[in-house]
Amino acid sequence: MTTLRAFTCDDLFKFNNIQAVLNFLLQYGIPFYLQYLAHWPEYFIVAEAPGGELMGYIMGKAEGSVAREEWHGHVTALSVAPEFRRLGLAAKLMEMLEEISERKGGFFVDLFVRVSNQVAVNMYKQLGYSVYRTVIEYYSASNGEPDEDAYDMRKALSSDTEKKSIVPIPHPVRPEDIE
Amino acid sequence: MLRHILVTSNMAARGHVQDPNDRRLRPIYDYLDNGNNKMAIQQADKLLKKHKDLHCAKVLKAIGLQRTGKQDEAFSLAQEVATLEPTDDNSLQALTILYREMHRPELVTKLYEAAVKKVPLSEEYHSHLFMAYARVGEYKKMQQAGMALYKTVPKNPYYFWSVMSLVMQAISAQDDKLAQTMFLPLAERMVEKMVKEGKIEAEAEVQLYFMILERLGKYVEALDMVRGPLGEKLTSELQSRENKCMMMYQRLQLWPECNALSYKLLLKNPDEWQFYLSYFDSLFHLMDKSWSPPNEEEHCVEGPVQTTVAEAVKFVVDRMEEEDKKDSRPLRGPYMACLELIHRLRQRGCPDEEELGDPLELMLQFFGKFGDKPSCITDLKIYLHLLPPEQHTQFKNRLGDLVPLGEVGEDGFGFPGDTKVLQRHLCVCQLSRVLGLQHTLDTEGKLCLITELKAHYHYGLQFGKSCLKTELQFSDTYCLMVAHVYIDLWTETGDENMLWQCLGVLEEGLSYSPSNAQFKLLLLLLFCRLGAFQPVVDLYSSLDAKHVQHDTIGYLLTRYAGSLGQFAAASQSYNFSLRFFHSNQKDTSEYIIQAYKYGAFEKIPEFIAFRTRLNQSLHFAQVRTERMLLDLYTEADITSSLEESVKAMGLCPEEDDIPWDNMRDNRDLTVLFSWDPKDRELTEEHRRLSLEEESVWLKVRSLTLRLLASLALLGHAPSPRNSDKTNENGVSAKSSTLQTLLSQLDLTLQTAAQITEKQTQYPFLGPPSSRLASALSSGSCHCQASALQLSLTLQELETTGLDDSSELQTQICNSFKSLIVQLQELLSRCKGEVLEMKDSRLMTQPSLLETLVFFVETVCVVLWVASYSASVLRPLKSSLQKKKKKTKDSSTAMPVVLSGFQEWTGSLQGIVTQALDHVKGQEASLTALKLAALTLGVGHAQTQEECGFTRAAMDKVQTSYLGSLQELGDLLRKRADSLKSLKF
Repeated sequence: MTTLRAFTCDDLFKFNNIQAVLNFLLQYGIPFYLQYLAHWPEYFIVAEAPGGELMGYIMGKAEGSVAREEWHGHVTALSVAPEFRRLGLAAKLMEMLEEISERKGGFFVDLFVRVSNQVAVNMYKQLGYSVYRTVIEYYSASNGEPDEDAYDMRKALSSDTEKKSIVPIPHPVRPEDIE
Repeated sequence: MLRHILVTSNMAARGHVQDPNDRRLRPIYDYLDNGNNKMAIQQADKLLKKHKDLHCAKVLKAIGLQRTGKQDEAFSLAQEVATLEPTDDNSLQALTILYREMHRPELVTKLYEAAVKKVPLSEEYHSHLFMAYARVGEYKKMQQAGMALYKTVPKNPYYFWSVMSLVMQAISAQDDKLAQTMFLPLAERMVEKMVKEGKIEAEAEVQLYFMILERLGKYVEALDMVRGPLGEKLTSELQSRENKCMMMYQRLQLWPECNALSYKLLLKNPDEWQFYLSYFDSLFHLMDKSWSPPNEEEHCVEGPVQTTVAEAVKFVVDRMEEEDKKDSRPLRGPYMACLELIHRLRQRGCPDEEELGDPLELMLQFFGKFGDKPSCITDLKIYLHLLPPEQHTQFKNRLGDLVPLGEVGEDGFGFPGDTKVLQRHLCVCQLSRVLGLQHTLDTEGKLCLITELKAHYHYGLQFGKSCLKTELQFSDTYCLMVAHVYIDLWTETGDENMLWQCLGVLEEGLSYSPSNAQFKLLLLLLFCRLGAFQPVVDLYSSLDAKHVQHDTIGYLLTRYAGSLGQFAAASQSYNFSLRFFHSNQKDTSEYIIQAYKYGAFEKIPEFIAFRTRLNQSLHFAQVRTERMLLDLYTEADITSSLEESVKAMGLCPEEDDIPWDNMRDNRDLTVLFSWDPKDRELTEEHRRLSLEEESVWLKVRSLTLRLLASLALLGHAPSPRNSDKTNENGVSAKSSTLQTLLSQLDLTLQTAAQITEKQTQYPFLGPPSSRLASALSSGSCHCQASALQLSLTLQELETTGLDDSSELQTQICNSFKSLIVQLQELLSRCKGEVLEMKDSRLMTQPSLLETLVFFVETVCVVLWVASYSASVLRPLKSSLQKKKKKTKDSSTAMPVVLSGFQEWTGSLQGIVTQALDHVKGQEASLTALKLAALTLGVGHAQTQEECGFTRAAMDKVQTSYLGSLQELGDLLRKRADSLKSLKF
């Protein structure tokens, strides 16, 4: 039981209501959030509990070439506060992002996830995503050193009738090779 | 990247043809991009020798100069080019970048105004001009620029940029009438014109139309528009049309439509909380109006309407039954809705609530279904008031029955077998705290509770053995609850051992769960209350607070930073916050522009409101003020004179940059978890009082700062006796500022006294009290005020001279004496042991430390006044000596004020020495304190490990006190040195 609504700047002031790492909802700098709000406001959804606590949010965008059938929705961030986990909220937010991407005529939805994050990988698999390719050293540590590989996971949308967009690429790619 | 300009401008303006100038400029761009500014400047000079008229090279050189700190040179070079009104892309864009780096965005508008005049058909320049206006918020000019752009290139977005600029004029208009009768109607007509001509193309345009109608209060029109063909364009956002209709129904109080739509949406998604609320709201409105559906027709455009409690009860019960039948995970919504409905029926005194069931049973049922989710407590907390107090214990016991714990062991406790049971057990503990059942326990009962919770905490750690460092332990919340019970005991009994054990248990928790923010926050708060700031710095930085959090939780740090004498750490923590606030302005304007580009019109006022909210932040004003005061206390008259310091800060005593009437309190006062019952929670009244108190304290501080600036500039004034009229006016203007500020301070201190009389106590986990009460009770505020008042009298003496001023001189001498008395009293309030061992207990008196800081601050102020006194008296004395020499009269007695001053500086010296001795004494007794000799765990056995953590916490406090004393001693010594220069 949740109120799902558009994210607003004022929500940034409420992001402390969390037990674990204080800023886990605030991973990015303000410019990053504002950029998404200015460009893809419909893709930025926040979930609020009846008591007014922020439960989590999803932030995404639409990108890629339509002509090459690469127009798609992308999940940039998905966060659920620890105290609101195991309620199916992440799945709900993903469903909404997929619906928005469907309406835009996207061919698929994709996202990047750390290969070590087995919990997340399994969750996305349950939601119908599959590993499309591995991106080598996609994540870097705070010192700038390469840190970890990412899975690029995808789920085909109804525009991609033959599910061409999710046929896995067998060879890993480098971050500079992905658009 | 600058290089990017070159590439894009090539593409835009000249296509693929390579301009030879681009080739020449390229190396300079590269140097600048690589941060090699020196080489960029050299390269530009080289190029300019050959091609004098290559303006862009000049601008690039200016960028290099700007980035190497030569702002003035850079500016004049840029202006050389700007006056030529360049029209080449490279120069224009480079100048734009340069002006932005100089924080002079208004100059960009001038640049493109000229360019547009010269090349009136350029879409690019027109649009740059629009964006340049947007950056500085020139809405009227934006409106015109947008129109000019549309006339040049008739593209829809440009037209709507202009419309949006009208809306912004309406939003920013001081006079709402102007907005309602001029700007918004004009904007509406502009859109209507496009609608009539069938030219509406994009969703953004419809959104904007809706915004205008909404702001005009034309809800019927807005509703028609959303329901009509234009509304079909609203597709990006999910349920965009439904949400907008709902909003309008509520504004128009169209309750049948509101009800029917909520009902429809809930059938589709029975977990959407907001629609339950609108469903119930509308239902009761309809009942109050005895609304009945029209005969033989559809109820309303949205479908069937429900108008009776019976229907609502059935609807909610049906939703719950649907969930019960499901194989998959049930949704919480319907069950919560049931409790919400009972709550509302009860509010209305409606007897039908019984049909939904007994709240106690319903809550037990809820716990049965969702008790293993961490959110269960947050959900149930809202409806606990439905239970009568006599049911509380029964409720707790029945909940307990639903938690299958293992067999009871030697210690008398049974433990959960897995994390789900653990979570349930935890939820019961949390609920019993929220119900106040923990608070009613006596001391013995609370200590037993602590033992039980600790046992559960330690037992539960085994489930999290494989947790990563960034993850929490499943049983962390037990540990936090232990800490809360310790705090209860400490505040009720005053037994400081409870506090030390609390610190120990939290430190232990942190060692198992190093990312737990709640542990860190509570430790931080406790150390601050203990007056130990040193451990706080690391705790705060390990929280890794990000941007807005420096505003929302920064107060936890900055409230105590300066007040505990840890000046270096204070300076650092002010900087954390200030850096964020200063970047805000720049960050937001960029995205306002992007919002225009992408047609996210509704975000534009939101971004501006966001920027304003940060600029008007209470915490921002506090940090700004405290930072400058701190710099003065620690540096003025030590590394540079007071006057130089004031000038370097750009302080102007006449200017008040604090938005007193629009102050925003962005502090998150509930950031620390609390499961206290309602009557102990933070109330709106607490929030209001805390803001009031903080504002008055800020006013005292900012007036002190401006008074000091005023004093510094007084000292600068040449003697009025040998000066002409204008100078005299200058001086009197300055002294009248001083006079005005002093009377403002006086008034503020009166208000302050009224506020502190209330002795407001906030919940322990709520906002910390400001320094106001102790500033007043220590006498430091009044001592500072009288010192500053003295400077005004001295100013008078400067005008009158030594002859015929015996009354004034006596008055000054009395002030000298009175200040000594006041300082002496203030110092005597610092006496005592900040930390001592008594009967194997460790006792603290952190207030002594805070008072000592007030003493040191006050000494600074008094010494600045003393230094001003010397500057007034010195010339008077030397002219007197000259006169004496002339008349060869050696019999005349020394004027009272001169002898009085000498006596005064002597006494000041004496007080500072006393204070230094006191600090030294404190340091010595602190160092001599052997905490290791303390036997811990007396009475209520702590394990060896727990004692270790408690000891570590004690050590931190001791070390921190020593650090504070050292810094205070250092500053006092430096001040003592400055006293020597006052001799004459």
